[in-house]
Amino acid sequence: MISPAEFKLTHFQSMVLFALLISIAFGFLSRRRTSERVKYIIWSLFLFLLIGVGIGWAMYPFSR
Amino acid sequence: MPDEMTTDPTPGAPPAAPSAAETPVHPQNSELVSFAIGVAGWLLPGLGHALIKMWGRAVACFLVVGALVFLGVGMRGNVFSSEGSDAFGMLGYAADLGTGSFYFAARALETDGSDVAHAEGDYGTRFLAAAGVLNLLAALHAYEAARGRKA
Repeated sequence: MISPAEFKLTHFQSMVLFALLISIAFGFLSRRRTSERVKYIIWSLFLFLLIGVGIGWAMYPFSR
Repeated sequence: MPDEMTTDPTPGAPPAAPSAAETPVHPQNSELVSFAIGVAGWLLPGLGHALIKMWGRAVACFLVVGALVFLGVGMRGNVFSSEGSDAFGMLGYAADLGTGSFYFAARALETDGSDVAHAEGDYGTRFLAAAGVLNLLAALHAYEAARGRKA
């Protein structure tokens, strides 16, 4: 039986990895030309991170 | 909107040829073939797009869904089974099943079981569910592309 490596990632690393993978998939599915895909992936990744960090800060006052 | 305005054709004139925007990029397949392509895309991520020769999308789907599943299992996320007792468990099972054959790979790889008591395990559960939903989206895209609806 193959056992994969166990990953220890921080919240931020997990979020960045998730955002990057989903952005790549969305970029390839929704755009046809390479330049458009790259632009879409960068823009989508930026928005993922901006909104993720923004929501994190918005929840901060209620965390204690 | 000016781009969508058309003038009435002259009576008796032959119908105009479809514009480039109306012409499907991929030839239309029969409904059954398109459905089979969609199912193939669900069973093996990327296969649906590969069958209609969309190689970039096929490779991207395979790698992204595979990476999400691999990371999800590595982070010891919860791979839901059909024995879920509540709605959340059934919903998670449906999402995980979206990865097709990768679901069984995830179950085989996660030999130590899930560990959602830690943040990594919780993230892993989301990675696995996102992989399934993303693969369903890709399979639907392949089905629509096979029908000539979009590219």
